[in-house]
Amino acid sequence: MVDPAFGPFLFDTSAESWLARSQDPAVRRWFEKYLKLHALNISAITVLERTRGYALLLARVAGDRRAQIALARQAYLDGLGTVWPVDIAVALVAAELMALLPHAPTPPKRVHSMAESRQERLVRWRFDIFIAATALVAALPLIHNNPEDFEAIRTAIEIAPERFPDLGPLHLIRTLRLAG
Amino acid sequence: MNSLHAATPATTKRRTTLTLPSDSLAAAERIARARKVNLSTVIAEVIEEGLRSRRATERSGQVLKSYRQAFSRFTDAEMLLLDGVVMDERAD
Repeated sequence: MVDPAFGPFLFDTSAESWLARSQDPAVRRWFEKYLKLHALNISAITVLERTRGYALLLARVAGDRRAQIALARQAYLDGLGTVWPVDIAVALVAAELMALLPHAPTPPKRVHSMAESRQERLVRWRFDIFIAATALVAALPLIHNNPEDFEAIRTAIEIAPERFPDLGPLHLIRTLRLAG
Repeated sequence: MNSLHAATPATTKRRTTLTLPSDSLAAAERIARARKVNLSTVIAEVIEEGLRSRRATERSGQVLKSYRQAFSRFTDAEMLLLDGVVMDERAD
C-alpha cells in the first residue's frame, strides 16, 4: 500500500487509465483519496499517446460510436491535471537515456488482433523514455504498469549516475502496489 | 449566539455574526488561548481549511467523473490503442 499523501506522483499512460477503469473498491478509494490531495501529474507524452489513440479509434468508426468516442476524448481533456512539458531538461535527459538504451528491452507486442512492428516498438520505447525523463526532472515517483521498460531505464540511470547529474534515482511504483 | 470577527486570508475583512455549536466554539476558544491568537483567527483558519477541502473534493469528483467517462465503453483491444501499448492495429 502506498499512501496517497506521499504524492504527488507522475502517472504513466497505462497507469492513468488503469486507475480510472479499476473496479477494485480499494483501488477506487485510493484514487479518490489521491485526487483530493494532489493533481494528477502526467507527461505531455501521455497526452500525445492518448489523443493519438482516440484519433485512431475515431478514424475507423461512424455515427453514434464516433460521437461516443469524441465525448470520451473531450472528457479526458477536461479532466487533465498537471501536464509536464517536454522541455529542454527533459529533452537532455531523454537524449542521454536514448544513447544508453538505443534498443527496446523486449520484442514488439502481439496481443489480441493487434501486433506492432519493430518501428512502432521503438517509438513506444522512446515515449517511455520521455516519460521516465519527465519523472526524473520533475523529481516525482513514476506510477507505472510496464516493468519491462521502466526497470531497464531505472537500472541504466543507476549504472551511469554521472550522466544524470543532480538527478535521480528514478523511483518506480507499480500500480498493483498502490492499494494492495 | 456569539459575535466575532470572521477574518479571511485576504486583506479585506468583514464583521459578521455567527451562531455556532457551543462545543465547537469552546474548542476553538481553547485553541486560540493555547496559541495566543484571537478567536477570529482560529475560526478563519478552520473555515479556510474547510473550504479548501470542499474545493478539493469537488475538483476530485469532477476529475473522477471525467476520467471514468474517458475510459469507459472501450474494449481491452481498444484500450491498448488508447494507452499507446500498441501503436497501430494490424491483423495477425
